[in-house]
Amino acid sequence: MDKTKKMNPLMLAVIAACIGLPFVFMGAPFILLILCYIEIYIIAVSGLDIVFGYCGQISLGHAAFYAIGAYGSVLLHKYYNVPVFFSMLIGAAIGAVIGAIVAYTCSNLVFHFLSLATQAVGEIVYILISHSPGNITGNFVGMYTDSVSIFGFKLDNQFKFYWFGLVCVLIFLALKQALINSRTGRAFMAIRENVKAADGMGIDVRMYKVKAFAMSAFYTAFAGALVTHMTKYASPDSFLYKQSVMFLTMLLFGGTGSLWGPIVGSISVLVINESLRDLQNLQMLVFGVLMLIVIIAIPGGIYGTAKEYYDNLKAKKSAGKTDAGTAVSEKKGV
Amino acid sequence: MLEANGVTIKFGGLVAVNHVNLKIRDKQITGLIGPNGAGKTTFFNCISGVYTPSEGTVIFDGRHIEGLRPYQICQAGISRTYQVINLFWKMTALENVLVGMHPRMKGGFLTDMFKTPAVRREEKEAKEKAYEWLKFVGLEKYANDPASSLPYGGQRLLEIVRGLASNCKILLLDEPAAGMNSGEKEEFDRLLQKILDMGVTILMIEHDMKLVMHICQYIYVLEYGKLLAEGVPEEVQNNPEVIRAYLGGED
Repeated sequence: MDKTKKMNPLMLAVIAACIGLPFVFMGAPFILLILCYIEIYIIAVSGLDIVFGYCGQISLGHAAFYAIGAYGSVLLHKYYNVPVFFSMLIGAAIGAVIGAIVAYTCSNLVFHFLSLATQAVGEIVYILISHSPGNITGNFVGMYTDSVSIFGFKLDNQFKFYWFGLVCVLIFLALKQALINSRTGRAFMAIRENVKAADGMGIDVRMYKVKAFAMSAFYTAFAGALVTHMTKYASPDSFLYKQSVMFLTMLLFGGTGSLWGPIVGSISVLVINESLRDLQNLQMLVFGVLMLIVIIAIPGGIYGTAKEYYDNLKAKKSAGKTDAGTAVSEKKGV
Repeated sequence: MLEANGVTIKFGGLVAVNHVNLKIRDKQITGLIGPNGAGKTTFFNCISGVYTPSEGTVIFDGRHIEGLRPYQICQAGISRTYQVINLFWKMTALENVLVGMHPRMKGGFLTDMFKTPAVRREEKEAKEKAYEWLKFVGLEKYANDPASSLPYGGQRLLEIVRGLASNCKILLLDEPAAGMNSGEKEEFDRLLQKILDMGVTILMIEHDMKLVMHICQYIYVLEYGKLLAEGVPEEVQNNPEVIRAYLGGED
């Protein structure tokens, strides 16, 4: 709690800047589009962060949830005339349920076994949307859909969509932070740190993995619904395996297990990716190189490494006045 | 309070624990000793749910607990520490204790996420209580440091207090004094007494005979998975079988 209070001035400045940003780029629709994509990725990657960064369970199949959210929403809107905003929520909820089922069945798998299983889920969903029974998803042709409308107000351009996205980002990040700083969040971290001890401390590991996966899937599925209704078009191409890799790259690049990591990662990877647009075919290669840079040079990601550096600096500064430091930490503890 | 009847644990053909009968008396420290490889930790793992006994029963407060999962046994009121320290390394000392309080807190997934007033209150109280627990073992100055940065003795104490934080009725300690120097051991002796005074029952595996003989009211000796002897410290100390097992006599 203390921490969030301290960060408030910085937080407010960032939020103010975010609100002002679209006015600066009003004449540059391409940059506005990128900004909207950044918002969407922040939600998706924050979702992945819950399950990977906090709960320590790897997922190489988050494109599946991204697709379930997108197609869930599009299909509900098309065949059952569910208003777009509610169809997005329902799509995300379906993603969460499927995430829970995946986690329940895979709860005993670790590391590479889990990554293989989640990868398989990604492939299954991809096959389902590209070879759907009765061609309900339009298969490889994809399908067009409507933009988000809230109480009849259509968010039909990037300028309008941006603020809706911003509100979503703030809500999702706030909920994530609330959950992380609670009994449930601590249980997630305990599982990441030491499954055996977490079990011994009365934590039902399987149930908590299910919860982490469900929440993570909800985030990513909602992001999938967002992107589809922003571009008003869904096609299987957006939900390939490389999308899962992209989420993971962003998360590792920014730094796992933090509020800012997914934000920093989404922005930096997307900006790098877009500036290399001419090299579209080399995208995977670029991701590979980025991944290597992170793993070898900055294992904590950009935000993680910066924070560590900053903390060390602070520790060195206060090393002279240890008593004062202890007093502060005591205050914080209560 | 806790009764193990004819507990046997087999790994394939190997019988690690063989028909052990053991009774932990309320509000006492019971010692479990024996040479290396006697099956002490395996027996512990069986009580705490890591292994399911091949035969036999474990009854805690009149309830069968054999075969339950570790988290269920912890929720029932038996907490433990590990021979090799198993802390949540990257979490702070305070968070480690808070995780220990997990079974007795009520916040659910959605109430945690939306921070209902009840959850806020519980969280605040839990943090205060966790801080009290750290004070109890003198680790309060490390409250916001990651567990990995604590000195070795501090890590042992943190593990004990994390176990206690669940308000357990029985605390299982697996070689808690290993690696402590004599000064720390004396302090640890006093800490055990304080834990007993809180009404917590202790079962302890320990190799330090001085500590065991001094503080345990009743001792069980295991050798090759079998119960070799039991009794009050004086009896066990003078039991020729025990002396043979420890010093290696020929017979």
